[in-house]
Amino acid sequence: MKFFSILTLLMGLMLVASGCHKQAIAPEKAPAPAPAPAPAPAPAPTPAPAPETKTPSGEIAKVTPPSTEKVVPGIPFNDIHFDFDKYDIKSADKDTLKKLANWLSENPENKVRIEGNCDARGTREYNIALGDRRAGAARDYLVALGINTSRIETVSYGKDKPLCTETTESCYARNRRDHFVILIGTAPK
Amino acid sequence: MKKQRKSRLAFTLSSIFAFIITAMIALAPMAQADNIQQIDIYAPGRPIPIAISPLAGLPGDEISSVVTQDLDTTSVFTFLDPKGFSESPTEPFNQADWLPTQVVAVLKGTASISPEGYISATATLYDVQSGAVLFSKSYGASLGMLRSLAHDISSDVFKQLTGYAGPFKCKLSYISEKHGRKNIVIADWDAYHPKTLRFNERLLMPPKWGRNNKSLFYSAERGGAWGIYRLDIARLKESLVFYRRGTSLIGDISPSGQILFSSSYQSSPNIYIINPEGNGGYGPPLKLTHTHGINVSPALSPNGRQIAYVSDRDGSPQIYIMNTDGSNITRVTFQGDYNTAPVWSPDGKRIAFAGRAGGGQNQIFTVKPDGSDLMQLTSYGNNEDPCFSPDGSMIAFSSDRNGVKSIYIMRSNGEGQQRIKTTNGANAYGPRWSYN
Repeated sequence: MKFFSILTLLMGLMLVASGCHKQAIAPEKAPAPAPAPAPAPAPAPTPAPAPETKTPSGEIAKVTPPSTEKVVPGIPFNDIHFDFDKYDIKSADKDTLKKLANWLSENPENKVRIEGNCDARGTREYNIALGDRRAGAARDYLVALGINTSRIETVSYGKDKPLCTETTESCYARNRRDHFVILIGTAPK
Repeated sequence: MKKQRKSRLAFTLSSIFAFIITAMIALAPMAQADNIQQIDIYAPGRPIPIAISPLAGLPGDEISSVVTQDLDTTSVFTFLDPKGFSESPTEPFNQADWLPTQVVAVLKGTASISPEGYISATATLYDVQSGAVLFSKSYGASLGMLRSLAHDISSDVFKQLTGYAGPFKCKLSYISEKHGRKNIVIADWDAYHPKTLRFNERLLMPPKWGRNNKSLFYSAERGGAWGIYRLDIARLKESLVFYRRGTSLIGDISPSGQILFSSSYQSSPNIYIINPEGNGGYGPPLKLTHTHGINVSPALSPNGRQIAYVSDRDGSPQIYIMNTDGSNITRVTFQGDYNTAPVWSPDGKRIAFAGRAGGGQNQIFTVKPDGSDLMQLTSYGNNEDPCFSPDGSMIAFSSDRNGVKSIYIMRSNGEGQQRIKTTNGANAYGPRWSYN
């Protein structure tokens, strides 16, 4: 009900909007089916000849179910870090990954999302690819330790989610990281 | 002004002195002999003096000031101060009035508004040396489109004097970011008349224009993966182009609608191409690169035969070129250990990119596709996201040289770098001019 009133409001705005300064992207239909959340090993969530999907109008852009994004209390996994423009796992970080692999083995109902991040010095698009490789490197390491790929999600945030914004080497170093988020109860049976 | 009067006096008194002045003008890159030679805007040189007379009639001043502003932004010209005109806007062009001013060309014309609010204008460009008419045209637009009418005049003047159409008739897209939230903005070529498309997303990359200028393609992270989306600009309706797990980033759109992109959906980021199918969807991805590292940012050459892209196959990100079937890979950049974001000049003769220079900051470079003739165009702050205007005369880019990420433009030889006005207090980056 509430949704429809919002939808009507948006469509009304859209009609008025032609001469407006700001325009909301018009949702074509219900936001629910959206670009499906990426299931781990599964086939493509949406086949190529995609129907026109809902659109990111204002606040409804996010489609990631927030309920799966809880870090298990008491089991913090440290970020692991990378050298500038590199994506190989450092020896110092192998213990963290082994701990994570052990935990995943003991908690088969849960998954992990690895978030690859970069410092602000790289260029925008390359950093997205670099963050992808950083997350991928940790995934490959976990897989080598026996964790099934279906229990690992990876995503790159490039330089868009920095922990700090100073232009110092120590801040850059903090931002060149993989961050681990445990997704509770989401592992495929 | 005083000087101009003086030289006018000299001209009328002494033909010998006039000869000397003519000889001095001839030192400029153009303006010899009896007809105007086109300015080589790639060659560094002194700006060319011209005169823009206010168009006679009501919105004439406003139109002329936009034309002056447009042409000034290219940094190709200097403008004779209208106070120094010895000919009023309503008087017909008289060569003798302008010869002493040393301007190469004079723009004159008329403007009026109908009771219905429709602007009509005429513009005539004169060659001062020969007194000849270089072009004479009529223009029309509704009242709200005054700037756009002026941009048309600017384009005709620029084309006549340089051989290039200029970016004046293009639209400009870019990302506007505040508190980490990103929207896409579409504006006139010079960032005037911005229209904000309210995406309000954290993970949204700068859009690229479809060849018909009716759609924008962009990458966004939603639902845990970076996918590629297309926006129908007129209807503000979005559709999905490519969405799989991992990271998929739009690179380029070919004239026939093929999508070049990078994706890590199979493993590490590689370059793929997909062909459009009749129903608005796309066929299966064809993989063009096959390394385990990073391959990203594909850009199609203007002749459609080659793809420039970034790869770390030799250990650091560098620009490479391959054929569109993935064969014949050659490396373009060898200087420095970080070269990314390639775009082709529209004539295919140069590639612009962002490379890390001394001091560890990214700068805009251009280079020939065979790797020769490397030119560094910027040197202050961090500069990235280069993009050519469709006529090749200008480059837009992002820079933080003044503390805030903003859009800058320059001639494609690096001259005349200046910030263009985007929303106050927001970061602006990732500029792209639409196709002509």
